Amino acid sequence: MAEVRPDEISAILRKQLSGFESETDIYDIGTVLQVGDGIARIYGLSKVMASELVEFPNDVFGMVLNLEEDSVGCVLFGDSSLVKEGDIVKRTKRVTSLPVGEEMLGRVINPLGIPIDGKGAINTKTFYPIERKALGVVQRQPVKEPIQTGIVAIDAMIPIGRGQRELIIGDRQTGKTAVAIDTIINQKYTHSEEAKKLGISPVYCVYVAIGQKSSTVAQVVAKLQEYGAMDYTTVIVASASEPAPLQFISPYSGASLGEFFRDNGKHALVIYDDLSKQAAAYRELSLLLRRPPGREAYPGDVFYLHSRLLERASKLNDELGGGSLTALPIIETQQGDVSAYIPTNVISITDGQIYLESNLFNAGVRPAINVGISVSRVGGNAQIKAMKKVAGSLRTDLAQFRELEAFSKFGSDLDKATQRTLARGARLVELLKQGQYVPVPVEKQVISIFMGTNGYMDEIPLHQIKRFEKELWEYVEVNYPDVLESIKKEKQLSDSIVEKLKKIASEMQASFKTYPSPEKVNV
Amino acid sequence: MSEYKVSHRYAVSLFESAMEKNSLDAVSKDVELIYSTLEKNEQLMHVLSNPIIKPNVKFNILDEIFKSRVTQETIDFFHFLVEKKRESLLDTILKLFLEIRDEKLGIVNVEVRTFIPFTNSQIELLKNKLENYLSKKVRFKFKIDESIIGGFVARIGDTLFDASIKHQLELLKKQFLKGDVSLN
Repeated sequence: MAEVRPDEISAILRKQLSGFESETDIYDIGTVLQVGDGIARIYGLSKVMASELVEFPNDVFGMVLNLEEDSVGCVLFGDSSLVKEGDIVKRTKRVTSLPVGEEMLGRVINPLGIPIDGKGAINTKTFYPIERKALGVVQRQPVKEPIQTGIVAIDAMIPIGRGQRELIIGDRQTGKTAVAIDTIINQKYTHSEEAKKLGISPVYCVYVAIGQKSSTVAQVVAKLQEYGAMDYTTVIVASASEPAPLQFISPYSGASLGEFFRDNGKHALVIYDDLSKQAAAYRELSLLLRRPPGREAYPGDVFYLHSRLLERASKLNDELGGGSLTALPIIETQQGDVSAYIPTNVISITDGQIYLESNLFNAGVRPAINVGISVSRVGGNAQIKAMKKVAGSLRTDLAQFRELEAFSKFGSDLDKATQRTLARGARLVELLKQGQYVPVPVEKQVISIFMGTNGYMDEIPLHQIKRFEKELWEYVEVNYPDVLESIKKEKQLSDSIVEKLKKIASEMQASFKTYPSPEKVNV
Repeated sequence: MSEYKVSHRYAVSLFESAMEKNSLDAVSKDVELIYSTLEKNEQLMHVLSNPIIKPNVKFNILDEIFKSRVTQETIDFFHFLVEKKRESLLDTILKLFLEIRDEKLGIVNVEVRTFIPFTNSQIELLKNKLENYLSKKVRFKFKIDESIIGGFVARIGDTLFDASIKHQLELLKKQFLKGDVSLN
């Protein structure tokens, strides 16, 4: 039997310990005066910086938030029961920061950059502080490239540009997260070879889950994996069971990771799901730090909390590489009340909002976007010309439809023109319905909307609109692939393409077989 | 207003008036004496912070204890404090006075904890090193602390110079657990 020789062991020990230095260690310390509820007050640490990371015993870390005359207020990122009164606190001389890099893609991390997906350590080289100042006017340029969400209603009427901040707002269970996830999934196209040839640069995604159930986050990650979207996505999780300070910093971590891509001339999309929970977490720790409460008990700087976060979304000028950081914050309203404190704040900060309504959702209009009050203030410049052309009348048609729809409920006789408007509107609403996880490429969106707004679907029964759309796409793909190619490449509708589309429409109308509606079959 | 702010204000004024009158040495000697007396006699401090005892009684007590030992200027300061009803802050004022004086004179207080007492040559060595490092004069206060196992820990304000065996063992433990990381 082979034995382990003692000199072998000591050689290994010596080798392992050779790098160990025994010099005097110089560090700054303080003493815990008071601890509880995730907050610690510290005496000492006289040279500590605001938002510096400090180290408590038992590997608990904290972040300095309050610098007072004779004490320092600190939030804990770990279990506060491990910290006791009188414990020694050490400075790390490092502002709270996050490791960033391409290596983060495909991973699930916590807001401090520690992986929580069990796939081992992440070998990043750079650290970014989680709180960074937003860029100024000089470094920016107007939004000009589109982010395609793959959702027809959004890409047609509420277009989002790269570098924009577009709020997604709605009650619980209205599909807010679904819109965000679909957008992430649709970015897969930007990473393909085809997109590269067309000059569309890839979009890297960061999904920040704040105060959600871990099971919900696991579902989202599974879905992203299923659709191959995790290859270019990082998920940052501060679940409901994490202490409030971690939930509070998680969107800033997400923004820092996004900024890494932006600063390297790439494009990033960051989703904050959701900021109402972050505001609640911030309220919790502000109250514990004894900052005076204001409206709805939120502290006075809750506006700054969100404005400094969303101001970090930007489109860089060409000298700085032209990268962009697009932000899609999500806000959950209570019973559709958008005049509460946090919703009004975030509405005023962002460049537009997508309203999701539960009554639309329940009526089967999914995604449940209320296009009447949803707007995008800057994205119009980023929309491709072809889409701009066909979607121009979409908004007005739908507005007229909604106005008359209320009227028609009285059941009075309607004239021909009114009936036509109603029929058109109903078909457009039907056309904008879309399943989850089925993003539609922009060229197909253009063709469908062209058919809808130009009245080529007016004769199709309502329940067969979706089938008509599907068969239309198949027909074009097989018989007129050049139309799709041309829209993709030229990004506009030339007269010849319009002629071809008209031809396709008449051919489709001739060949499309309508079936009686299912209700009538049953009778 | 916090006690600290008030005490600081009184301490600064005492220091500045002493500087003006060129009597800093005498006054600081007084302050050191009174501060150590207060530290040793808890009772005296209790009397001073008791609101029931009348101001003139308090003044008389202070006067009687220190009259023969301190300068007239210090006695005047007592009078002033009692008049302004701040006599309960006497100990913090004196402590802050000493801090302000040390800062102005470029002296730092260093608390050194060792396992066994330092020899004179060791003290000299540490003093030279620290004075070079800080470019300030140091004043030592030694303490025996058996928990550090060996070496020494010097504390200047909030900064620790840690060369103790205990700390090194802790670092070693961390290194073993993490692989190859040194903390600071």
